[in-house]
Amino acid sequence: MDHFNLIVFLGLLLLGYVAGRIAESRHYRSIRQREAELGDVLVFASRFPPDFRVRPQTLVGGSVVVGEDYFKSIVAALQKLVGGRLKSYETLLDRARREAVLRMKEEARQKGASMVVNVKFQTFSIPGRNPNSLRAVEVLAYGTALGPAMPRG
Amino acid sequence: MSLPPEYANPPLPEGINVTRTHPLADFARLLGGVAVVVVAVVGVSAVAAARLARFVPFSAEAAAVQRFERVFPEAGGGPVEPWLRDLTARIAAASRLPSGMTVTVHYVQEPTVNAFATLGGHVVMYAGLLEKLESENAVAMVLAHEVAHVKLRHPASTLGRGLVLGLALTLVSTATGSDMVGNVLGPAGLLTVLSFSRRQEREADEAAAGALATLYGHTGGAPDLFRAIEVQRTGGSPPAFLSTHPLDAERIAAVESLARARGWPTTGATRPVPPDVRAAVRRATERAAPGVVD
Repeated sequence: MDHFNLIVFLGLLLLGYVAGRIAESRHYRSIRQREAELGDVLVFASRFPPDFRVRPQTLVGGSVVVGEDYFKSIVAALQKLVGGRLKSYETLLDRARREAVLRMKEEARQKGASMVVNVKFQTFSIPGRNPNSLRAVEVLAYGTALGPAMPRG
Repeated sequence: MSLPPEYANPPLPEGINVTRTHPLADFARLLGGVAVVVVAVVGVSAVAAARLARFVPFSAEAAAVQRFERVFPEAGGGPVEPWLRDLTARIAAASRLPSGMTVTVHYVQEPTVNAFATLGGHVVMYAGLLEKLESENAVAMVLAHEVAHVKLRHPASTLGRGLVLGLALTLVSTATGSDMVGNVLGPAGLLTVLSFSRRQEREADEAAAGALATLYGHTGGAPDLFRAIEVQRTGGSPPAFLSTHPLDAERIAAVESLARARGWPTTGATRPVPPDVRAAVRRATERAAPGVVD
């Protein structure tokens, strides 16, 4: 029985590691490519537009739900015993933030906007306070998309 | 349309939000460090618990297990159990049990080749093992071995160690929030249990040889027991480290060297098992399907 558990554990660990690595490197490739493509949609944390000409404004947002793989969860469980950086989650959240911004930029471009100001992030833990549930986090990026300036009348 | 210079999105360097370590290196470092600490803490507590359990009065141990006594089989009549009781009483006297310590022997009519001692001074002897033993001396070696476990408080020590290990596993599982971590650390803890247990077996063998020498004036018959068990084991012996009992050849050699050191004769006249007992044992093993080993 002990050996069965050990084999299941090692199997899940290997699956988590291999699948997680493949998914992560694919995702980073896609992120870098789309960041280049959407480079002309500018994003700013500032609440103020670059000038005060009249522009159409609209709320845009991009949301990502990211979950851990088994390997990352085990590394994090061990890290939790000794404290320190949860390194296994850093790439996960880095990807989630960048993906959320990309989805927000896509929405902005669809709406004809060339920049998003007042960009903010929000996160929400999917299982809430239930520690036994699925561990995943939502990262939401949202901001005010600004369309082209209206001609002065 | 040109924007003010502060309204620009320069390309950001890659990897500024992640630590550059290989995930496997990170995992290995953490697992190694945590395993060393957990094994050290649990090992020290388990040894301490095993040592301290001996100081629990035997009467308290016996009282605690009293309500489980129904799990032992009733004597089904016949000559075997009275004979075992009588032999055990003589062995208990020869083993110089501390006052207040009692040993109760139970005879199980099953073909399993085994005998064991457990909490409260209960010793269980299976028909399967009795059937393999032709001399009273060999049976006495088995009983003396189990009586020695009781005398040395091994069942209590093992329970103390088991409780600590169980508690530690629960704590580690809870702390990490993962049953699987406990499941992996479990077998690692098991190896230490087995190696302690081998020391206990060796101690019991030594005490049993002493009791045998007191009772019969020699340790003849003891090797018969080990040979009987050895013949029974099929498919080769497991490596010594993974086995609860030291290997049979090692045990024969250990008993013989102890006998030489103490000046006990290693051979002498052995008494046969009474014919009515042997016949009853043979009937019991033939009735049940032959099988389970160890």
